[in-house]
Amino acid sequence: MHPSVLDFAFAAALLAAAAVVVHRCRFPALPAYLLVGLGVGTRLDVASLEPLPSLGLLLLLFSVGLEFGPDRLAALSGRVLRAGGWDALGLLPGLAAGLLLGLDFKAAVMLAGVLYVSSSAVIAKLIIDLRRAAEPESEVVLGVLVFEDLVIAVLLALVGSRGGPLALLASVGLVGAYLLAAHYFSPRLAAAMEALPDEPMLLLGAAFTAGTAMLFHAVGASEGIGAFLAGVIAAGMGLRERILGLFTPVRDLAVAFFFLTVGVGALALLADLQATAVWLALAALVGKLPLDYLAGAAAALGLRRRLLTALYLIPRGEFNLVLGALALREAQGLISQVAVLLVLITIPLGAVAIRFGPAWTAGLRPPPRRLPAAVAAAEGVAEASQLSR
Amino acid sequence: MKVEEVVLPGVGRKYTITTRSGDRLVIVVHSSGKRELQYFEAGEGDEPTAALDLTDEEAREIGAILSGVLFHPEATGDVTARLAEHTIEWMKVEPGDRCVSRTVGECQEEAQLHAPQAHILAILRAGQALVPNPPPESRIEVGDTLILAGSRQGVNALKHELSH
Repeated sequence: MHPSVLDFAFAAALLAAAAVVVHRCRFPALPAYLLVGLGVGTRLDVASLEPLPSLGLLLLLFSVGLEFGPDRLAALSGRVLRAGGWDALGLLPGLAAGLLLGLDFKAAVMLAGVLYVSSSAVIAKLIIDLRRAAEPESEVVLGVLVFEDLVIAVLLALVGSRGGPLALLASVGLVGAYLLAAHYFSPRLAAAMEALPDEPMLLLGAAFTAGTAMLFHAVGASEGIGAFLAGVIAAGMGLRERILGLFTPVRDLAVAFFFLTVGVGALALLADLQATAVWLALAALVGKLPLDYLAGAAAALGLRRRLLTALYLIPRGEFNLVLGALALREAQGLISQVAVLLVLITIPLGAVAIRFGPAWTAGLRPPPRRLPAAVAAAEGVAEASQLSR
Repeated sequence: MKVEEVVLPGVGRKYTITTRSGDRLVIVVHSSGKRELQYFEAGEGDEPTAALDLTDEEAREIGAILSGVLFHPEATGDVTARLAEHTIEWMKVEPGDRCVSRTVGECQEEAQLHAPQAHILAILRAGQALVPNPPPESRIEVGDTLILAGSRQGVNALKHELSH
């Protein structure tokens, strides 16, 4: 038997134990995977778990492309788009901070992205796990996330390339070529794909996602944007529901391992933590709250729902880690520290905020508007009870 | 009655139904198939009076009961009792089903052996008008919804014939 199976079994057992414990406390599992990674540290040889964790990130971005792609924009209402606009103002302070710290423009844009983008994958999972999907603020939050993912995808296509303007051109050109090809061929391919049974579909989807990511990596672009684009194209072919059904269990397994390795890797990265990184992370955490409160206001939510909107948008995740890895490649240690630190802080904090937010804000709930008949009935009961006394 | 539909990216779809009495029903259909129901009494504020989670199967069963597709013989008299042995069912044509890209005539003929007491009542195709009493030469495609009618056993046998 291959020795890596032992590491796999060990890691899977740890993750399973963590998932069981948090499930009993009615708490979402993602932060627990991170904490397990932090706790295990280098005792676990994460390299032997590959390619599962890397695949986890690619599949995560693939499903984000599938679910939060540009075609969703058309389905959003005007008020949600306005909320997205307010939220996007969060890019500016990051850009300013980056330039003030003396970073070059590309690095400053990266830092802005790291401070700005919330995690649609983590938040959507928290909303489902904590049964908040029916609440009005969830609609606004998920719409804002579509907006954010689009902004960050454009940003990644622009700054995600390695090296000079040639790589940038290759990156943008490749995105264009993919979208163009999808536009012309997907109507014809869609019929053929639809007739495909489940198993070839699963394998084809995996090959397409990993292949696109590798192609983007080969031309010096960000592989993350490749996986995202693969999801967008699959959604364009009308395969969203089927692929989701097929991929969700596979993705969840790989993503658990991915977050475990993020936790393990964070220890080494944060060993020489700079004070600036801590301040930037805290500023991003706090600074985004008022903007998202205003976003909630732009979406015509009440006071309590606005606060909840701001709380829901706390968690950072997949795109932070993509940007952090890019920054590390470009020798921008500060940005990658901020990125990973934000993920480590905001996922557990966000999970707590989303879990208990409704209870914290219960006092702000608008009083029930009683119908005249109900009021009369209530008064009648009160009178009757007085008479009987 | 007023129905609002919104897409919840990453989650599914949300339907908000306001009935004539002013009560509100919020139904979230998750992409996983799970359904979340919340009931808001008219005039009550923010908090649902009741909440219910349903699996895909339960939701379909309840949907069929609500739309009056399932008849229950014990609840009705003699005349409908005979009717009750008959049923109408909706069948979504999935990729790989035996009936895909064959004509209604071929399918009916084959199924006649095993399911003589049921037939294809209509074909529902996305974006097209309902095809009632489909002519034998109409071709069945993936994504169609077939409406089958007949005895309960017959419909089950026909469904089996069409899909395997």
